[in-house]
Amino acid sequence: MPKQIFVDPNVVRKSGWVKFKDIPINQYNKTIDEEKANFSKDDFVRIYRDMAIIREFENMLLLVKTTGEYNGIKYNYPGPAHLSIGQEASAVGQAYHLDKDDYIFGSHRSHGEIIAKGLSAIQKMSHSELLDIMENFFEGRILKVVEGKRTKREDVKQLAMDFLLYGALAEIFGKETGFNKGLGGSMHAFFTPFGIYPNNAIVGGSAGIAMGAALFKKVNQRKGIVIANIGDGSMGCGPVWEAMNMAAMDQFKYLWEEGYKGGLPIIFNFFNNQYGMGGQTSGETMGFQILARVGAGINPEQMHAERVDGFNPLAVIDAIKRKKQILLENKGPVLLDVLTYRFSGHSPSDASSYRTKEEVDAWVEQDSLIAYRKQLVDAQIATEDELDAILEQTKNMILDIYKLAVDENVSPRMNLYANPNAIGDLMFSNQRIEKMEDGECKVLIPKEDNPRVQQIKRKIRVGIQDGKPVSKARVFQLRDAIFEAVLDKFYVDPTLIAYGEDNRDWGGAFAVYRGLTESLPYHRFFNAPISEAAIVASAVGYAMSGGRVIAELMYADFMGRAGDEIFNQLAKWQAMSAGVLKMPVVLRISIGSKYGAQHSQDWTSLAAHIPGLKVVFPATPYDAKGLMNAALMGTDPVLFFESQRIYDVGELFHPEGVPEGYYEVPIGEPDIKKEGKDITILTVGATLYRVLDAAKILEEKYGMSAEIIDARSIVPFNYEKVLESVKKTGRIIVTGDACERSSHLKDFAQTIGELAFDYLDAPPVVVGARNWITPAHELEEFFFPQADWIIDAIHEKIVPLRGHVVKNNFTSNELLRLKKLGI
Amino acid sequence: MAVPVIMPKQGQTVESCIITKWHKKKGDTVNIGDILFSYETDKAAFDEEAKVEGTLLAIYYDEGDDVPVLSTVCVIGQEGEDISDFGPQVEEKSDAERSMAEEHKEEEIGEETDIVEAAGPIPGQELKISPRARNLAAKAGVDYRMATPTGPEGRIIERDIRRLMDSRAVATPSAMAEYLKLDEADQLVGTGIGGRITTVDVEYAKTAGIRHELAEYETAEAEPAEADYEEIKLSNIRKVIAKAMHQSLVNSAQLTLHTSFDATEILAFRRKIKEQGTRLGLGDITLNDIILYAVSRTLLNHRELNAHFLDDRMLLFKHVNLGVAVDTERGLMVPTIYSADTRSLSEISNEAKKLIESCRKGSINPDYLKGGTFTVTNLGTLGVEYFTPILNPPQTGILGVNTIVQRVRQEGDKLVTYPAMGLSLTFDHRAVDGAPAARFLQELKTNLENFSIFLAK
Repeated sequence: MPKQIFVDPNVVRKSGWVKFKDIPINQYNKTIDEEKANFSKDDFVRIYRDMAIIREFENMLLLVKTTGEYNGIKYNYPGPAHLSIGQEASAVGQAYHLDKDDYIFGSHRSHGEIIAKGLSAIQKMSHSELLDIMENFFEGRILKVVEGKRTKREDVKQLAMDFLLYGALAEIFGKETGFNKGLGGSMHAFFTPFGIYPNNAIVGGSAGIAMGAALFKKVNQRKGIVIANIGDGSMGCGPVWEAMNMAAMDQFKYLWEEGYKGGLPIIFNFFNNQYGMGGQTSGETMGFQILARVGAGINPEQMHAERVDGFNPLAVIDAIKRKKQILLENKGPVLLDVLTYRFSGHSPSDASSYRTKEEVDAWVEQDSLIAYRKQLVDAQIATEDELDAILEQTKNMILDIYKLAVDENVSPRMNLYANPNAIGDLMFSNQRIEKMEDGECKVLIPKEDNPRVQQIKRKIRVGIQDGKPVSKARVFQLRDAIFEAVLDKFYVDPTLIAYGEDNRDWGGAFAVYRGLTESLPYHRFFNAPISEAAIVASAVGYAMSGGRVIAELMYADFMGRAGDEIFNQLAKWQAMSAGVLKMPVVLRISIGSKYGAQHSQDWTSLAAHIPGLKVVFPATPYDAKGLMNAALMGTDPVLFFESQRIYDVGELFHPEGVPEGYYEVPIGEPDIKKEGKDITILTVGATLYRVLDAAKILEEKYGMSAEIIDARSIVPFNYEKVLESVKKTGRIIVTGDACERSSHLKDFAQTIGELAFDYLDAPPVVVGARNWITPAHELEEFFFPQADWIIDAIHEKIVPLRGHVVKNNFTSNELLRLKKLGI
Repeated sequence: MAVPVIMPKQGQTVESCIITKWHKKKGDTVNIGDILFSYETDKAAFDEEAKVEGTLLAIYYDEGDDVPVLSTVCVIGQEGEDISDFGPQVEEKSDAERSMAEEHKEEEIGEETDIVEAAGPIPGQELKISPRARNLAAKAGVDYRMATPTGPEGRIIERDIRRLMDSRAVATPSAMAEYLKLDEADQLVGTGIGGRITTVDVEYAKTAGIRHELAEYETAEAEPAEADYEEIKLSNIRKVIAKAMHQSLVNSAQLTLHTSFDATEILAFRRKIKEQGTRLGLGDITLNDIILYAVSRTLLNHRELNAHFLDDRMLLFKHVNLGVAVDTERGLMVPTIYSADTRSLSEISNEAKKLIESCRKGSINPDYLKGGTFTVTNLGTLGVEYFTPILNPPQTGILGVNTIVQRVRQEGDKLVTYPAMGLSLTFDHRAVDGAPAARFLQELKTNLENFSIFLAK
């Protein structure tokens, strides 16, 4: 809702027509003689060679999967092999004009794209560039394997090709000498030095991530374009539509500053092999009939959509050349519908029950490897013998790398016997990088001129002064603490951007960001569409390209909308890349209250369950600022949970107040908020304040002194303080607003039970929210843990309190009953 | 290298000691001679000094813990050293293993003895106890089966054990496993520190059964208190004394004979020593020393009074191990002058002084608190004229020494006064009849009245 755009009823209520331009279908019609002007003989032949390499590479995989051997050499490969035999022309055609600065992102069926893009990059790079990359990647480990006994580097390009093919195959076979140490595998192999970015086993998963990479290129004014290679089946995925829409947002045209104007430099490239697994997209599972039509639904430019004949490499080359130009003119995004066909099944186990032999045969007859070769021979560009020689060379090359890749001695798997933590150590990068790049931070005003900064200056940075609570209006609140940390980083890290729904003019739904707009240009701080999937996915793409980003989900309940992006993408790419990629993303997630079943859920447990995410939940201004600073200093994805109940609290635990300067609260360290000796209460998030109430009652009414530990972080978590406390008190209650079942509260309790068993005077008791829907605000006290719940739980489960009359039933029988009913 | 500090074995019969105070904290630097901790047995208190210097790396027992002797109490070494070998778990485990092995030896044909069950509740009796309470019970040596559960769902929790510790006898760690096997364990009376049940008690209970009168005694002790007085907790020593005195009266047939003797001679002798003793290198020899000397010699002629009475037999000792009752701040203590009959008066005097002093300081070696064959107790210095001392079983006699009063005696026609010192002999009529006891007194009286000659003997 930027004020500069006037929503004029007289304009928007006028009658008229939405007009569409024609969308080209296979309009390429040049003869090979006409193309001689654009391609040398070498170029023509190299196109054939690249297609042949891909074909042989995948043929090898097919044979290994179906016969257990290749050229008589046995190998058992039980993993996935989604082959693209038949689609080679589209991959080679796309890669032809791309260099290392152009990024491609792929799908589960991207072996061909990796090889084509790699071969194209090798073709364009100098020997020294190639050697530099090969020698430095994993300290030259892959190079060492392919170089073998060769003593001279006479043919660096050939060496680089071997490097590429071997790195990819070893990765597919899960070897430690693969591009990602075998942690990515067939569906995720990638090699960023050649501009090959992660392939994604989630259909359409690359759309949003690639869009984020394009955002990175635009914001940081980098060379090159980005291509999301996804299939026609992915047009059924919401996140793909979200990504296309976000890439085409009007604000790029109308609101972003000069120099940053225009849609994102991205091609949503649909390799349209006409089947989503077995579902026939045109005619069965979709309604577009011609996929390129969808472009017309996204923006007035219709995403410059067209259908290209993916069986003709020259047609694809032509299309990419034109589209790349459009992107370089800041007129993106582009949609390409590259029509193709896979001869092989979805996977080797596919019986092709969904298509006829006649259909497959008809396409095989038009196999691009045969058709293109015929064209070359007919046009007298190359002889049959020359092309046969290429096929021979190709087979030898593939056989050589196959031999290396199946050899357990030169291509071992990650040794988890010798180093059991090898994968664990890759889950987080745990680095401290103040700014992802050096450079000027683009801001609109000096930090001290920021109106919010000036307003905060007048605030009192402690919650209690002279024994009295400071009024909400005058106190430095938790929301101010987050703001301070965020604003500060914007003036330090030039790559830092932040976005989410209603972030800019509104200042975020809960006024955390109020004032940021005054300091930051659009390209660093903007409103995202209501597209949680695209918000998170783009943050993933932005970070893996080298930037730092704060994305925001307005409510924890919306995590469901970004499920794949949080759980499969954000969490996993650092480890799946074997540490090649960093993921400096802070995802702010606000937990609601008062707004019922879909706006008041604490979903921290979902986050904590997924390996690869750091999860924090500060409950005080001091901790909020310190944890945000720590999160923004790190290189790992941090899910930063906030509670709408406590945005306005002042600092109660640090009498000296929240420091104005920079400090960090280490992620993973709980904090003793109140010392005590009779019972430990471990609290996660906003329940801290209800726990304080409970402690007061325990002290005054029952003479029991409670030690309160604020978890602050959920992942990672250092148990030392908690165990120390439990050893002292012998009793512990774990509480938080998450629904009790399968929660991290249970996880805490279980771990404490395990580690402090001999010291416990009662089982660790969990007081979480009910396993219900969150009811109306007026009924929330029956749903979320309250002070009296904690006291009742102590009385019933840990130590009976003299004269206590319970209101809630925490007995074992009740627990059994509830569990039986699933509530 | 890290050096473990073990709980010293203060005497042959000591099974465990209680740590009363830590003078150092974990992490403190210690020098040789620094006091690490204080501890006490049932009869005496000690300080453990550091024998090496370094950093106190670990403390395995807290104040109030009952520590089996020879267990590692703490470790001194250099910062950062690996001390994982010293932890009590390691030792406890090996202890447990050892005792298991022994059990196997004792049991004829091996039923598989499960160590957990051996220490656990009686089979068939549902008993819930928190791990913390169970550990505390094990550490303190209390029988958690006697705790009244106040936790949720009838679980015994920490506070129940603490309550039990305050009100009930506890067992030493080495006695615990056997003790838990007893069926009527709750009637057993402990004779160890603070009434702790020792292996001896358990053995006793196993063979002789539980005595009814002792159960009564327990009940009386446990009666609830009223409000118009101050309740003080008995010290360990007080409890031991109480039990020992009561048992003495309950289990023997005591009676006391009184007499007095003319102390003129020993007073003169003492004066002489006082005046000239220093020159001869003699210390201050007290009247009590003189009596001790006389008793140690006289007893040899009355062996049934230098004896232990053991129900069906008596042990008549060849030497006189003379118990000397000492009044200390902590209560009555009775150190022993071994083979007093072979020592000179001066030696007896020196030994008595040394023993009395270390009793009063609380540093007496417990081996000196046993083994007596006859006891001398002196209330004369407090002006008591006659009293009935209580036997120290299984000894058969105890001599009370009284104050000196002026008495008159007829010498010719004249009544003259002389200093008379009273003697009260309590003896066990089961072991000795009245006449032999009286003869002992008579001979003692003669010896004291003619001390110079006696000394020359």
